[in-house]
Amino acid sequence: MDLTVEATLESEIVSKKHPRAEDFISTLKVFVKNRIALAGLIIVVIYAIIAILDWVYPAYLGIKSGFDLSDALVTFHMSTYLGKPILYPSPITGSLIPFTIGVSYGVPPYGSGAIITLIPPTLHGPTNTPGWWWIFGSTAYNLPIFPVMLASLKWDLTYTVVIVLIGAAIGTIVGTFAGFYGGATDEAIMRVTDIFFSIPFLVLAMAILYVMGVSINNVLLALIIIWWPIYARLTRGQALSVKSNKFVEAATASGSSRIRTMFVHILPNVLAPVFVQISLDLGTVIALFATLDFLGFHYTSIYLPELGNMITWGDQTRYLFATPMNWWPFLIPALFLVIFTIAVNLLGDGLRDVLDPKLRR
Amino acid sequence: MKIRYFIIRRLVLMVPTLIGLTLFTFVLLYSLELTHETQLVSQYINPHSKDIAAQLRKAKIALGLNLSFPQQYILFLERLVNGTWGFFPTQFPMFGGLPVLEGIEKSLPNTVQLAFFATLLSVILSIPIGTYIGARPNSVSDNVGRVFSLVGYAFPVFVLGILLQLLFSRAGVVPRLIGVTGLPIGGTMPTFTSPPSWFRAGTTYPTHIPILDGMLNGDFSFSWGAFIYVILPVLTITYGLLAGLLRFIRSGMVDSLSQEYVKTARSKGVPESWVIRTHVRRNAMIPAITVMVLAFATLLGGVVVVEDIFSYHGMGLLALNSVLDFAPYGVLSTTFFFGIIIVIANLVVDVIYALLDPRIRY
Repeated sequence: MDLTVEATLESEIVSKKHPRAEDFISTLKVFVKNRIALAGLIIVVIYAIIAILDWVYPAYLGIKSGFDLSDALVTFHMSTYLGKPILYPSPITGSLIPFTIGVSYGVPPYGSGAIITLIPPTLHGPTNTPGWWWIFGSTAYNLPIFPVMLASLKWDLTYTVVIVLIGAAIGTIVGTFAGFYGGATDEAIMRVTDIFFSIPFLVLAMAILYVMGVSINNVLLALIIIWWPIYARLTRGQALSVKSNKFVEAATASGSSRIRTMFVHILPNVLAPVFVQISLDLGTVIALFATLDFLGFHYTSIYLPELGNMITWGDQTRYLFATPMNWWPFLIPALFLVIFTIAVNLLGDGLRDVLDPKLRR
Repeated sequence: MKIRYFIIRRLVLMVPTLIGLTLFTFVLLYSLELTHETQLVSQYINPHSKDIAAQLRKAKIALGLNLSFPQQYILFLERLVNGTWGFFPTQFPMFGGLPVLEGIEKSLPNTVQLAFFATLLSVILSIPIGTYIGARPNSVSDNVGRVFSLVGYAFPVFVLGILLQLLFSRAGVVPRLIGVTGLPIGGTMPTFTSPPSWFRAGTTYPTHIPILDGMLNGDFSFSWGAFIYVILPVLTITYGLLAGLLRFIRSGMVDSLSQEYVKTARSKGVPESWVIRTHVRRNAMIPAITVMVLAFATLLGGVVVVEDIFSYHGMGLLALNSVLDFAPYGVLSTTFFFGIIIVIANLVVDVIYALLDPRIRY
């Protein structure tokens, strides 16, 4: 008789799903119920698909994106776009419009010598108003806004994700380490993060870029340097509270080494707020990326599809405030960016509601 | 006097942060010596002299570039305390060839003016709106408020600033449509052919804060003219600030609504508006006040983008110009200055918190 009871108990246990999986499904159900967060998620996914498609089928928009100037020279004749050839020069296949070569507008030689850009002679403002042929019009340099805007997501999103994920990884490990070990280690690490928090992060980025020089790699590096302390502080507090749980004590008592305890028992339990922060930071970083370009840290040339770039060059007063107003080169890329940041924030808010057990109960 | 010990302890705790901050700035300077040596030295060299090499040597010795790392750090601290913070290069806009401290002295008042109005406006708006929303969680007004603050949180500052310019500046949409004179698109204060008598050497007098100086000198039309230049930047800053504050006050209100003392007050028969005003809001405001102080401090240094859009000559634009126009000492000084402001603000916030909340043990 005992045997049968045991057998039924065991079958019950086996039939049950893994507790983590069950927890995940219930979390998902709560998240799906939150319609606003779901809308945010859908928008973010659409943006991501546009960017990923560009990775899978390069130049499917008729535009090859990249941050390399030599790349731009070869690829920026979008003759395939909508069947309408754009008279854009290509030094390889023979030029359609003569080029003038000059030192680029306000891009200073940050240690590495002047950046030479190619400036076409037609600088007379946005030539195409939005219409059925040019879906969202074109920019002052006659780049069609819609496909360039979509193509810019490839690198913008990739770099944003890289920055946030690397920053989060470094910050989470450092913060968990500080919170778990405590004592002098904790104090030292927290004092270091204090310094980062006491300088506004834009000013910090500017100072770091000044020292290192402006290039896309240095922008990435500077933003990672700025971004990890946020996660360090976040996970440190979390690790402090997780540390006092009984299961950590049990793990230590059963002979788990400190490193193992930290990675296996503490780290998984500090990740919830990290995910929320990551989703919120995606919006902040992509905006910061654009902001840096806007402020004059031109890490790209105007021919390269990048949202900050498009917004910056759309905001030239002589075009924007002309009569009639040339609003589209600025407003359309700007709204495209704003929609993404808002969607990411909606997603982050939804995630917070789901992952924060205090609010859920 | 317990609070005195608390302040002293807090001051002592500030020391490692300050050392860290100076060390960080010094590391910036030290790496500049490796990458931007000519820019660092160029101030101290006469380009028309015949023996440039000798001049270079002299300049390096004068700046202490030949010393070791710790020796240079000591020298750096000494100069920091002395107030010899270096010079702007001669071609620098506004402050070419002037000491960095003078640039800060003339830029900071403009930023103070901006930060003051932005903080004032956001406080005036956020307290009543936050109270109203927080007292009615999950109502329609609450959802409107949440969307408002979420959009404000997500909107990149430079997009918002240019949108406001597009709408309300002199060449903007609204003035074009209804035929009024719009607001200035940028600038710090009105320009004039003959400056008022109390206006000295490019700045207002005595405080350098244009609006305040106009009022102190009885020149109210000048104050009004300067105020007009502040409106758009202030609105831009306020939206982001208001979004954060509303979120904060709302969550504080919701938290304290579920406290036991609120139930007690209600069961005593205290009228609801009284409960909200004295029992709920007062407790929700304690963290909000500290956030406001921190926001003010951050604004003193963190309005780079807004000042750039509206070409408003404050600290943010000074920092930006220092970076873009190769003023190494300008970069170091502004970075350090912002750090100091925030460190001090953190101290002030902790003291205010301790004063307001008797539960804090110090």
